[in-house]
Amino acid sequence: MKTKRLVRLSLLTAISLVIFVVETRIPSLVPIPGVKLGLANIITVVAVYLCRPWEAALMLTVRIILGSIFCGTPLSFLYSIAGGALCLSASIASKSVIPETRMWLTSIIGAIFHNLGQILAAALILRTASVFVYLPVLMITGSIAGLFCGFCAQLIVKRIHTL
Amino acid sequence: MNKTAFRLILAAVVIVIAASALFVAVGLMKKPGSRVVILSDGEVIETIDLLSSPDREFVIETELGSNTIRIKDGRISVIDADCPDRTCVSMGELSSELTPIVCLPHRLIIRFIGD
Repeated sequence: MKTKRLVRLSLLTAISLVIFVVETRIPSLVPIPGVKLGLANIITVVAVYLCRPWEAALMLTVRIILGSIFCGTPLSFLYSIAGGALCLSASIASKSVIPETRMWLTSIIGAIFHNLGQILAAALILRTASVFVYLPVLMITGSIAGLFCGFCAQLIVKRIHTL
Repeated sequence: MNKTAFRLILAAVVIVIAASALFVAVGLMKKPGSRVVILSDGEVIETIDLLSSPDREFVIETELGSNTIRIKDGRISVIDADCPDRTCVSMGELSSELTPIVCLPHRLIIRFIGD
């Protein structure tokens, strides 16, 4: 049983890392810092629902560290880890209330908190509160991206159950 | 499934999105002023009135890297940067109070300020 969980977790980590690396190669449609689809978070949401909370946290941490090494900077690591930590905490908290059939809502909440974490990190690093004007724009783009990723995650989880 | 809790969360998310949409709509309708401020590492390094400023290009250089800024026809943009992502360059001209030009790696912000 332990090996099975380990393999599943490693697989999820590898998949989300590949998605993450491939997504950095896709030019952003909206040239606003912080706006992106965040396709790797599909796997984060899947992990939140299929694995234990600490397992999901482990997966996300490994993905962020490796992702930053492969195609990031020390600074982008800070933004990712700040966004990821808030996103994961919010998703895990929402999971207890939101059933699997409504995973898109968990994903939207995760996306909103992810952007919030990034803005907080940016405000600390840039030493100015003026980045908070981005918040409304990011909330909307984040919700759209989160909704999309949430539906993808929902499809995946449905299929994994039928395996 | 706890229906009340689910509905509360859904309502909270809808309110957040609606409030953001309202902010964005108001921000887009508001015509930005002409005064622009350039912040580097949280400090104001230059305040420019775009209406009275002549067309020019200048380089802002810090130990983190350099950004080339262009002012042309009363509009300001970053035309070159030696950072890896160059998001500030692709953002184009500064057009709204809602979306300042930000160069995260160089800790540079260009934004409109109220009069």
